[in-house]
Amino acid sequence: MKKIAISFILSLLVSVVSFAQVDRSQFPKAGPAPVIKIGEAETFTLDNGLKVFVVENDKLPRVSFTLVLERDPLFEGEKAGLTGFVGQMMRAGTTTRTKDQIDEEIDFIGANLGVSSTSMSASSLKKHQGKILDLMADVLYNPVFPEEELEKLKKQTLTGLATSKDDPNSISGRLSSAMVYGKDHPYGESTTEESIGNITVEDVKSYYTTYFKPNIAYLAIVGDMSKSEAEEVVNKYFSDWEAGDVPKFTYDTPAPLDKTVVGLVDRSSSVQTVIDIAQPIDLTLGDEEYIASRVLNQIFGGGSSSRLFMNLREDKGYTYGAYSSFAADKLIGQFSASASVRTEVTDSALVEFIYEINDLVDNGVTQEELDKAKANLAGSFGRSLESPATIANFALNIERYDLPKDYYETYLQKMNALTVADINKTADDLIDPSKLYITAVGNGSEIKDKLAQFGEVMMFDNMGFPAKEMAAVDADMTSEKVIENYIAAIGGKAKASAIKAAKLEMVAEVMGTQLTIQLIHDDANMRFAQKTIVGGNVMQTSVVKDGKGTASVQGQSMAMTDEQVDATQLSTYFLPELHFETMGYTLTLDGIKDVEGTPAYKVIVATPLGSSVTNYYSVESGLKIKNENPVSGDTFYSDYQEKNGVLIPMTQTIKSAMIPVPLEAKITNLEINPELTEADFN
Amino acid sequence: MMKKLTALGLMAGMLSVPAFAQNKIEFKEFDLDNGLHVIMHQDNTTPIVVTSVLYHVGSKNEQPDRTGFAHFFEHLMFEGSENIERGEYMNIIQSHGGTLNAYTSNDITYYYESLPSNELELALYMESERMLHSKVDQTGVETQREVVKEEKRQSYDNRPYGSILIETLKRAYTVHPYRWAPIGSLDDLNAASIEEFQQFYKDFYVPNNATLTIAGDIDYKQTEEWVKKYFSEIPKGTKEIYRPDIEEPKKTAEIRDVVYDNIQIPAVIQAYNLPPKADKDSYAMSMLSTYLTGGNSSLMTKELVDKQQKALALAAIPLDLEDGGIFIMYGITNMGVEPKDLETEIDKLVKQVQEEGISDQDFEKLQNIMENNIVSGNSSMAGIAENLAEAHVMFGGADYVNKVMDAYSQVTKADLQRVANEYLTLDGRVVLYYLPKPAEAAQESPEAAQE
Repeated sequence: MKKIAISFILSLLVSVVSFAQVDRSQFPKAGPAPVIKIGEAETFTLDNGLKVFVVENDKLPRVSFTLVLERDPLFEGEKAGLTGFVGQMMRAGTTTRTKDQIDEEIDFIGANLGVSSTSMSASSLKKHQGKILDLMADVLYNPVFPEEELEKLKKQTLTGLATSKDDPNSISGRLSSAMVYGKDHPYGESTTEESIGNITVEDVKSYYTTYFKPNIAYLAIVGDMSKSEAEEVVNKYFSDWEAGDVPKFTYDTPAPLDKTVVGLVDRSSSVQTVIDIAQPIDLTLGDEEYIASRVLNQIFGGGSSSRLFMNLREDKGYTYGAYSSFAADKLIGQFSASASVRTEVTDSALVEFIYEINDLVDNGVTQEELDKAKANLAGSFGRSLESPATIANFALNIERYDLPKDYYETYLQKMNALTVADINKTADDLIDPSKLYITAVGNGSEIKDKLAQFGEVMMFDNMGFPAKEMAAVDADMTSEKVIENYIAAIGGKAKASAIKAAKLEMVAEVMGTQLTIQLIHDDANMRFAQKTIVGGNVMQTSVVKDGKGTASVQGQSMAMTDEQVDATQLSTYFLPELHFETMGYTLTLDGIKDVEGTPAYKVIVATPLGSSVTNYYSVESGLKIKNENPVSGDTFYSDYQEKNGVLIPMTQTIKSAMIPVPLEAKITNLEINPELTEADFN
Repeated sequence: MMKKLTALGLMAGMLSVPAFAQNKIEFKEFDLDNGLHVIMHQDNTTPIVVTSVLYHVGSKNEQPDRTGFAHFFEHLMFEGSENIERGEYMNIIQSHGGTLNAYTSNDITYYYESLPSNELELALYMESERMLHSKVDQTGVETQREVVKEEKRQSYDNRPYGSILIETLKRAYTVHPYRWAPIGSLDDLNAASIEEFQQFYKDFYVPNNATLTIAGDIDYKQTEEWVKKYFSEIPKGTKEIYRPDIEEPKKTAEIRDVVYDNIQIPAVIQAYNLPPKADKDSYAMSMLSTYLTGGNSSLMTKELVDKQQKALALAAIPLDLEDGGIFIMYGITNMGVEPKDLETEIDKLVKQVQEEGISDQDFEKLQNIMENNIVSGNSSMAGIAENLAEAHVMFGGADYVNKVMDAYSQVTKADLQRVANEYLTLDGRVVLYYLPKPAEAAQESPEAAQE
């Protein structure tokens, strides 16, 4: 009893003492750096050349199988995009299973199976491993490559491509690759409508039979499986896989620049400029400077406390984020620094980027930056080890890049040994600030001149090809003349003015659903009515008359504000050009632009209240070929046909951020000067 | 041949039942005198440690005219403390190689950081600073009010369908505080005085309302010492913690409404009231939602998205809450499909499950999927820490983490049909149609501005 009492008092004393010891003004010191134990992978090789890595981890009853093919990069040329189809084509059916059956069987066991042109990965609970291996092997050995799947994939890819041609980030990516590597390099080429059209089922099959070979493959098994069990399983499923010769390819290293150049894609609807500064670098995983390059990037632009972010976002507020990367690659790596910035600050932002690059190379980094970067990278290295897949990846890298066996075991030691001088040397070795590729995707008329200070400015189109040279506008050309030419081209003022009203119906198809648009223009009385019908239901209508507008969606109607009426009026006339003058609109001629390959005069039409649209008139034919509207997107006009002596575009293609696919609307019914009643505008 | 296959299938089905088990998660627990409950899980395979604190306070603990407080505190609690300078909390964790995050629900507020294991003492210090003397002052309140305003704009007002939860809760509950969402009202936050914020901190951010969980590369003894060193001096709360004891009356009539939002495509929302989170029917409801919309081969996705193409997307989400949550189903209509039309088809499928139940094959598939999900939920230290904390607070003890699989394996095929009938009742539900806002839609529609 006494004993207990004493120990109680003691413990009280102890705890009082320990209270007193808590000095909250000091952060607790870190303990000794933990030893990173990286589980070693077991390896073995089959007779057919398949190298297998096993990382046993029985914490959870799961297992995963990842097959990786190690081949040289491919230049796909006129079949660009082919490799993107291989994986889904393989998974789309085997000699004994349809695609639906494969999906159902995988869902049934709660598993995953993914395939690409250079990999296959499958994972499931341990107890379902037999089933998932059956499925994996079936897809690996017996794919049938259904023709209809290829058609579906082509369609999806074309849709994606159409979207990406208007997406500034995609355009920037294509431009940067094309400039840095050239269009005749595997890393510089890009998929086009034409190259997708060239791809056949035979091409996919031929790729499969050429490259899916065990002698260029690695299989990583991670999870609840011992080496001996792995040997048994791998022998059962992969020993019959036949080896074969796989072609090898080499490519010329892109010639270095003499001095910095600028590439620009003019995207006139942009309010932001996507900036990328790139340079090819000679850097491969395992190089002496590889780890230093990770630290360097962390300091320069790897995260939200790095230099680029602190300067361009936190200090200047030019952008939501600015980042850099040093990509390592066996063939050729790339340094890149990028941000999306407001149009007005495009040049200021570039000045800061260039300043930061020069400062990094000239003045190097500080000890404090180095320490912080090391702590940050060591932390994420440690966290990444929680995933067994990381260990498998390490084992694969050691093999693929011929690294020392203890490369990852001693990774943090190597990193912690790096000095400020090491990082500075790496910056100096990897980056040459006088030979950069600067790319910009943005509003050309606002930014082109301002870019000239950084280097010679070259124009490109949205696919990364050099833009067609556009002639300068003749000195005596004016916006009024462009409009006159247009009116002459469609049939002359007399005939055009004779059209007082029109009723038309256009039909388009969106993702398999028919969409009908009915339009009634009463130009003489400034009245307009529009109705959109989808699948037999009126989805939306709008009416403008007597200077007022009403819009309704699914039966809910609402009056337009004056600004909305003003903006809508820009588009309510059947032949708006006849009314620009009477409406008091201001016209501005903004040069000759490339509209999908056709040189065209760009004319900005603005209302007194400030709404505006931009029209493009072909230099050669005088006809209007494109309209840009800030709310509804871009409309392209084609298939002009004569109606009542006036040329009318019978097809309109609409591209807008709000619709996933360009919408092709054809006029199916057109009545010129029809009888109109009040009821048409109710 | 056919018979043989069936027999084999049956056997496989039987065999898989005893295999329906999970690896046991070991842990140790203790309580401090001030009421702080501590759970530790040791796993030395990777040199990292996850430290988390679960405060048992969510939007349901708020007063009706001060909504959004709990979530607001999730922001305020990163402002610093007496010893941590304003705005430095995140920097300190990151510059020691860590990451951190937090979230707020209707029931709880959860903070966690993941650090290299030699920084455990720092993590405990940081969390103890937060609990002992966080900065709750005018500057912090003003700064975070702006941030929360932006968050509300980005995630609720500007995001298409972003207001679904708010609009649904508002109608699914009439008296229970679940009737407002954690984001709450900016007006309430604007109206609140600094004293009210300080009082909320004193009421709810107390050790007797918190669960500290440490999972990873730790030494049990050392960890316990450090926990005592940093947390023992934090005083216990003096008041009883306010937990609403309000019973939501059972609805007897369907509530139907239209919401106009900044969207292009109409959507149909249906919500049904659920039993309390810890009720055993929750397992069956969770399986039922997976059966209806989980994955490409689920009932509704296959029928309404792939086959009939009436919906672009469909989801059934059981929002399981401590006092009884809601089962939300939403479907986004395909081009030209009337919301009414989609709703009819959804109802037909619900009715089909109510009348016919589900097949043996589908039931087995469901069991497989649930098993895979549960196993995967414990694949990281962060996941284990969260599961342990939630088990202690919501399910009566941390050991619940080792019983989840059992609970699911006890659900029968008949249970699924029964809960479909019991909870998915048409006369007690909320139905919302989300339609495009007329003015906006007319302005933005590509057809309006042709020519």
